[in-house]
Amino acid sequence: MNRSRVLKIAGGGIASLFLLLLPVLLPEVDVNHATEILVFALFAVSFNLLLGYCGLLPFGHAACFGVGAYATALIFKHITGMPFVITIMISALSGFVGALIIGFFCVRLSGGYFALISLAFQMFFYAVALKWRDVTSGDDGMSVSRPDFYLPGLGPLSLMNIQYLYYITLVIVVLAILACYLFLKTPLGHAAISMRENATRASFLGFNVFLTRLAVFCFSGFLAGIAGALFVVHQEFVATTVMDVHMSFTVMLMATIGGTGHFLGPVLGAVFFMVFQDWISSLTKHWWLFMGIFFVMVVLYAEGGLIGLFKWGKIRAWFASEKES
Amino acid sequence: MAILRLQDIYKDFSGLQVLLGISMEIQQGECHAIIGPNGAGKSTLFNIITGLYKPSRGQITFLDRDITRSSIHKIARMGLSRSFQIINIFPKMTVFENIRIAVLSRFNRRFNCTSFLHRDRRILEESDRILSLIGITDVRNVPACEMSYGMQRQLELALTLARDPILILLDEPTAGLNAEETRGIVPLIRKVIQGKTLVIVEHDMEVVFNLADRITVLNYGQVLATGTPDEIRGSEEVKKAYLGRI
Amino acid sequence: MDIYIIQAIHGLVYGMLLFLVSSGLTLVLGMMGVLNLAHAAFYMLGAYFAYTITVHLGNFWLSLIVAPLIVGTLGIGIEHFTLRKVHKSGHVAELLLTFGLFYVLAELVRIIWGSNPLRVPLPALLSGEIPLMGTTYPIYRIFILGFSFLILIGMALLLLRTRIGILIRAAVSDADMVDVLGTNVPRVFRGVFGGGAALAALAGVIAAPFLSTYPGMGLDILLDCFVVIVVGGFGSLLGAFVTSLMLGQLQSFGVLWIPRLALVFQFLLMAVVLIIRPTGLFGEKQ
Repeated sequence: MNRSRVLKIAGGGIASLFLLLLPVLLPEVDVNHATEILVFALFAVSFNLLLGYCGLLPFGHAACFGVGAYATALIFKHITGMPFVITIMISALSGFVGALIIGFFCVRLSGGYFALISLAFQMFFYAVALKWRDVTSGDDGMSVSRPDFYLPGLGPLSLMNIQYLYYITLVIVVLAILACYLFLKTPLGHAAISMRENATRASFLGFNVFLTRLAVFCFSGFLAGIAGALFVVHQEFVATTVMDVHMSFTVMLMATIGGTGHFLGPVLGAVFFMVFQDWISSLTKHWWLFMGIFFVMVVLYAEGGLIGLFKWGKIRAWFASEKES
Repeated sequence: MAILRLQDIYKDFSGLQVLLGISMEIQQGECHAIIGPNGAGKSTLFNIITGLYKPSRGQITFLDRDITRSSIHKIARMGLSRSFQIINIFPKMTVFENIRIAVLSRFNRRFNCTSFLHRDRRILEESDRILSLIGITDVRNVPACEMSYGMQRQLELALTLARDPILILLDEPTAGLNAEETRGIVPLIRKVIQGKTLVIVEHDMEVVFNLADRITVLNYGQVLATGTPDEIRGSEEVKKAYLGRI
Repeated sequence: MDIYIIQAIHGLVYGMLLFLVSSGLTLVLGMMGVLNLAHAAFYMLGAYFAYTITVHLGNFWLSLIVAPLIVGTLGIGIEHFTLRKVHKSGHVAELLLTFGLFYVLAELVRIIWGSNPLRVPLPALLSGEIPLMGTTYPIYRIFILGFSFLILIGMALLLLRTRIGILIRAAVSDADMVDVLGTNVPRVFRGVFGGGAALAALAGVIAAPFLSTYPGMGLDILLDCFVVIVVGGFGSLLGAFVTSLMLGQLQSFGVLWIPRLALVFQFLLMAVVLIIRPTGLFGEKQ
């Protein structure tokens, strides 16, 4: 086994241990924060499925996130006794359907067209959410309360308990991210990746580029829907902010800063963003500006994101020095 | 038996007439070369046959099915495969991965999302078989963009064959190769088209006369002459069009 | 009948404004292949500069000259220091960059000028109304119409009759060819980028008293511009012109007849065009 594999396994092991023991190691306010980070990690991974792996940049990815969020909020508000997992599934499917509608128009295009149509649809969904006050309460938003989570044999677990919320979110997020990872190893996943490289040749090799990309787009919407659902569970509140430009920009920032060239880049980006946001917002109320400037800097000078710097800079240097000694 | 039929194909691009009534038949199993001066419309013809462009007028039949308005991927799936004059591979994927994705398509696993590609033995073995057939097994794990031009040309050819097509269209497969590389690729082409039908566009006359059973000469978007290599060599009209290049 | 004509004039006013903004965007897109989202921020900056100059220096007319100058220079700076760098990294990087720039500029505006809508007062000459078709019509809107037609004629003259104009049109058609023929293409790009920015800012100045200035105005005009370029076709000024006017009418009458669904119509139009004719009404096949 070579050195990098050992590092990866060791790193994975330590990270897993840390995630499992987190509620024990950290105070409640941090566990709460960690839960939110998990949600955004999934959201960012779903975004990078499109950007990093398919080469498609969706400016309006918050649309599916928002659809999932509202689905969950509405279920919590109007239907009591719906099992938690079913609620999440319905939100995921809502995200899927949203992506199907949007994707049908966007996916036949690429580049700037794709990006802006996706933004246009998001603004459209936003406008609907804003105006349909009877259902969504517009920009005032709706408060919801977390239902209990029924574990067979163990009875109801109150999700007001931050530790339970954390673990349930952790399990769902890990499973979803794992599903995404495995998806990329399937024939369909590989087909989508090849289209990023050369969609024309893929077409001449018999691939239906439109359908393939649409399938991946829908899967991405599915995952974003789950993230949106978990977001509402965590916030106990939903408003039109779940699908505004800020939200789309947030996920774009996370994936780009973390690094779109690596599967875990967006996860790193989500962690970085949330921690950074916490820190900066305590210093100034104009932290969005700093985020924006930081983003522009990353795009200009550090394309591979944090993982890019990490991969090439430090590790290479370490290996180089190891070889010499 | 004619497996590809072109009937009266016209193509104009916003007023520029490129093809003016091309009619051709490609017989099963033959090697048919299309030659002609630059601008004669050869690449456009390929683009129309394979579905990238739709003809302004005319009909194309492949295996007795009308493919005039069919989409690119449907035509490819019917067994019609083409190579490109300008190398059109998957640059950042390795040579093996390039072939693998083509084989994946051939085995109709394009939408499969319930198994892992790296575990599919049939695809892996077939991909390796094609690599050795073309002779690029040595560079199996090299990213395609890092190879020499000559090897990229071979990969280009391999991609065209990976689907085990019935009809192969090669668009200037020796473009950019030096004399030695060109001499090397001809037996390779002859080997891999066994049992298949080939239409080849070429400028290198040695290659053309080496491979072709029949030759069609295009000039200014029209068919100037069709016949055996000897007939074409002897044709006055062809000589005039080429100004003595043959 | 009269009310329809009045509505049509409303639509024409907005349509012309929209054209002023989207023309720069479509030219840059056609020529450089870059969809510059920051363009909407240039428009916004123009409007806000108009506010500051008019309110603090007391002169609206001055802002018509100063704002475009400042924003045009800013545009040239942005093109030179950021866009050029990112050009080789591909379209995705360019999009990310221009989106980031748009975002940063929008935030800066929000920080400097606040989140509330600001009213830009009109000079005495342009305020008030004149009688038109049995009712009265604001002088300022007529001014917008007149002024934008002037600019339109100026643009047409520049592009059709001057050497620079020919270069620009050639570069939109095929930048590589123009380069090979010996023109300093980067300089032409920079000029068009800066010029487009200045034009957007000018549109912002004119729009400010009419539409009021608010932080979301950049995004709103961006989406409208986008519909214009998609439907009109990349790089096509004629397409942008026709579509802008069309959209102006659509919004004007849409607001009158079916206020809630006006937004939907715009989307439907865009969606339909994308399906039937993806390169737009006047665009060239890619």
